[in-house]
Amino acid sequence: MLQFVIAGLVLGGIYAICSAGLVITYTSSGILNFAFGAIAFFIARFYYFLNTQHTWSILPAAILAIVVASPALGVVLYFALFRHLRLSSPMIKVVATIGLLVAIPAAAVLIFGNQAIQSAPGLAPQPVAVYQVFGVAVTLDQVIVYACVLATVIIGALVLRYTDVGLKVRAMVDSPAMTDLSGTNPTLISVGVWAVSTLFAGLAGVLAAPIVGLDPDKFTILIAASFAAVVAARLRNLTVAVIVALLMGIATSLIEGYLPPSSAWTTEFIDAVPFIVVAVVLIYELLRRGRVGETDAWGGALDRAITPQGESRLAGSTSSVVESASLGFFGKYAGPILLIGAVGVVPLIVQGYWVGVMAAGFAYAVILLSWTIVTGEGGMLWLCQITFAGVGALTTAQLANNHGWPVLLAVLAGGVVALLMGVVVGLLSIRLGDLYVALVTLTFGLLMENLVFTLPSFVNQGLGLTLNRPGFATSDRAFAYLCLAAFVIIALFIVNFRRSTTGLALNAARWSEAGAKTSGISVVQQKVIAGALAAAIAGIGGGLFALSQTTFQPSEFATFEGVVWLAVLVTWGVRSNAAALLGGVSLALLPAVTQSYLPTWTSNVTPVLFGLGAVSAAKFPDGVLAEQSRRLRRLVLHVRDRPDGTDLPDLTLAGAEMGPVATTRVAEHIS
Amino acid sequence: MPAPSEAAPSVGAEGAALAANEITVRFGGLTALAAVSLEVQPGQIAGLVGPNGAGKSTLLAVLSGLLRPNSGQVYLHGDDVTNASCRSRSRRGLARTFQQPELFMGLTVREHLMLAHRARVAPQRLWRDMLDPRSLLPPGREESERVDELLELLRLTRVEKAPVAALPLGVSRLVEVGRALASEPNVLLLDEPLSGLDIKASENLLSVFRQIVDQPGHQVSLIMVEHDVAAVLSLSDIVFVLDFGERIAVGSPEVIRIDPAVRAAYLGDSDPDPGPPAEPAPGRGDPA
Repeated sequence: MLQFVIAGLVLGGIYAICSAGLVITYTSSGILNFAFGAIAFFIARFYYFLNTQHTWSILPAAILAIVVASPALGVVLYFALFRHLRLSSPMIKVVATIGLLVAIPAAAVLIFGNQAIQSAPGLAPQPVAVYQVFGVAVTLDQVIVYACVLATVIIGALVLRYTDVGLKVRAMVDSPAMTDLSGTNPTLISVGVWAVSTLFAGLAGVLAAPIVGLDPDKFTILIAASFAAVVAARLRNLTVAVIVALLMGIATSLIEGYLPPSSAWTTEFIDAVPFIVVAVVLIYELLRRGRVGETDAWGGALDRAITPQGESRLAGSTSSVVESASLGFFGKYAGPILLIGAVGVVPLIVQGYWVGVMAAGFAYAVILLSWTIVTGEGGMLWLCQITFAGVGALTTAQLANNHGWPVLLAVLAGGVVALLMGVVVGLLSIRLGDLYVALVTLTFGLLMENLVFTLPSFVNQGLGLTLNRPGFATSDRAFAYLCLAAFVIIALFIVNFRRSTTGLALNAARWSEAGAKTSGISVVQQKVIAGALAAAIAGIGGGLFALSQTTFQPSEFATFEGVVWLAVLVTWGVRSNAAALLGGVSLALLPAVTQSYLPTWTSNVTPVLFGLGAVSAAKFPDGVLAEQSRRLRRLVLHVRDRPDGTDLPDLTLAGAEMGPVATTRVAEHIS
Repeated sequence: MPAPSEAAPSVGAEGAALAANEITVRFGGLTALAAVSLEVQPGQIAGLVGPNGAGKSTLLAVLSGLLRPNSGQVYLHGDDVTNASCRSRSRRGLARTFQQPELFMGLTVREHLMLAHRARVAPQRLWRDMLDPRSLLPPGREESERVDELLELLRLTRVEKAPVAALPLGVSRLVEVGRALASEPNVLLLDEPLSGLDIKASENLLSVFRQIVDQPGHQVSLIMVEHDVAAVLSLSDIVFVLDFGERIAVGSPEVIRIDPAVRAAYLGDSDPDPGPPAEPAPGRGDPA
């Protein structure tokens, strides 16, 4: 018993440091940092680089990595990104940190080199000393973890409670705007908070490396586990977060001790413990209050007043709506049609291997359309679309192989199964608020990945499940066009959805809950519809993707990979069907190109670029494609209007009647 | 205690379009509304006035279903709707506007009205239309006519295709009124509809309210929270005065205008005889 508690406190202690780091930045800036694990990985990798690759001794390496580099990274990230997110919508905040989550590990490989790391040393000298405490073996690494947790908790509590800095931080948590008005510089405090948070990340990373291994996926799972403690603390309560984190570590260790150790499923179950905690906490909250109340989680009245309502930043510039209206039908639809046509002829031109790559790209594009509907239209960030895709692929394989269904019918059935899961996930999360949607979907994805996709009958000793394409589309080329046809049909459905009453009502639910409810629209119902449709689309796309590979391989549907997909789509544009096509094709094409023609290290450049693309959503929420086509439209309007020297009627009206959006609103709010 | 100038409405008062009975709302230790009752007849315009923090917006939130009262009941056309959702109240003909306009930033002015109209007239279209390619076709004639009529009435025709994110506050208020009217309400709650409007726009909106109430064959009741007391007194049939969560007066505009308690509490009159309820009790905060 005691030995499990002692071992459990190590993992729990690392969870505790992570959750403390997550809570302080959430309470002070409203940003739940999904990139926390990536930052931890980066610092741990840096420490390994110094200590192992360059044989620095432990102390200078630890000081440079944890005490100097970690806070410095926080300061850099604050000025480069987080500062600009202060007034952004919750969704943009999440998208930006997800961009970092994708970019940072790849950047770490680029900077520190790509080498297989079997085991990473901790802060204790090798070989690690072992002590006997009450007859239980305790390593020096474990002792260091305890010391760090204790120091963090005690120093943190003392600083927050008794110092001037602590008072200012607490004031800023209550209201950054009021703190600013009363003469304290909120920037300085924010920088400090971010520096401390990344310091925690670095510390947790270096401490965790010997336990979980130096692997970005493992780190992300570790941090996702810390989210459990943060969720239990309702994102804000530091003490609760630390206690839950410690308890979770002990519980994990106890379960580990009492489950049969030989079974592979036991390890998977242990990985899943934190996610089960999240699920239990959320269900409890849902039953007790119906709503966790994330909307009033941040800032005071003034802060809320100057925060753009809903997600106006994601709406893109209103001028684009006016412009496209004045361009008429051709101006509005010519671009996408031309683009789909241009991409569509590629499989006819290229040969061999590349035709298959294009087929996979079109299947990816179908999956990406699921975000076009749930994020682009519904304003929610679902992080488990890849899981729905996996479910679709799995269902397809099961029905086609074991039950003799025609394969395309099985693909549709996969969509239906994903749809049902989408309804359940939506009902569980949507009531709780948008941030919880992101957390719950991430948790669901990791749970499915760990508990279902790893079942021996699906993994099939690493071979996966074989699939046969339908008879009329066995060649890569025919199958590519089958996928493209599916893409076009679903894209047309989305176009119709946007214009339909359902689409308008979803838009209403997204922008104003109070306005929608009092107009007779159920917010939850509309958002669940969007989530379920998106899940179905992802399921169908997943089935097509598995067919394009002619196998269902569970490892291809890892949740973290899905986050990369999201970053790719956000870079191109999350509101446009054409962007989904480009995103899908680039997902398939770029790795193929780098593998075939470029040096291996370049394979890490694309994630960095797409990660940064997602980060840039803070500035261009509509993505690259929308931004460029907006510029093109302006050019067209400019050229077209020059001969007679008159402006377009709509634009004149806009100029006369409407002020710039945000500034007017903010000014009115404050006055 | 509230001035007992009129008896509280009997439970589910006969014929009243909207009635609130002894509504109490507490936020923690703060009592935002203390046993406030109110009753509005069909076709009546009711003004709801009071200083900042009197509980006016809280009362509207309770009436529209955004907030559950700690005790008391709300009746819509005689039915107890205290525990009914906003949506079901909306389906029974209750609509409202907000102090800070709650508009749908991705939609145009016209789409706001269309959507509200459909949510009331054909709610099944909220989920059925996505499967129906006919939604790409222009909307039906009846709906278009109704929307045109409302746009005309509120003088919004010029901006009907504009996305609401680009509208100034005054026009946003008109859009909210339009959205509320498009749902064909029989009770309309207005939270400070005139603030942010210039004089011309205010006059236009007041005449619109008069028109709505007077239109033959469709009786609409209005409850209006407004700081412009002159406008409220000129328009209303009945006025309710709140102060610190209590109803301190109720009656016709003429009665309210000379009520000493109201003058003392709200109009800032230093009348030597303010009456007991007007004294703000020490220690009570701002419930708004």
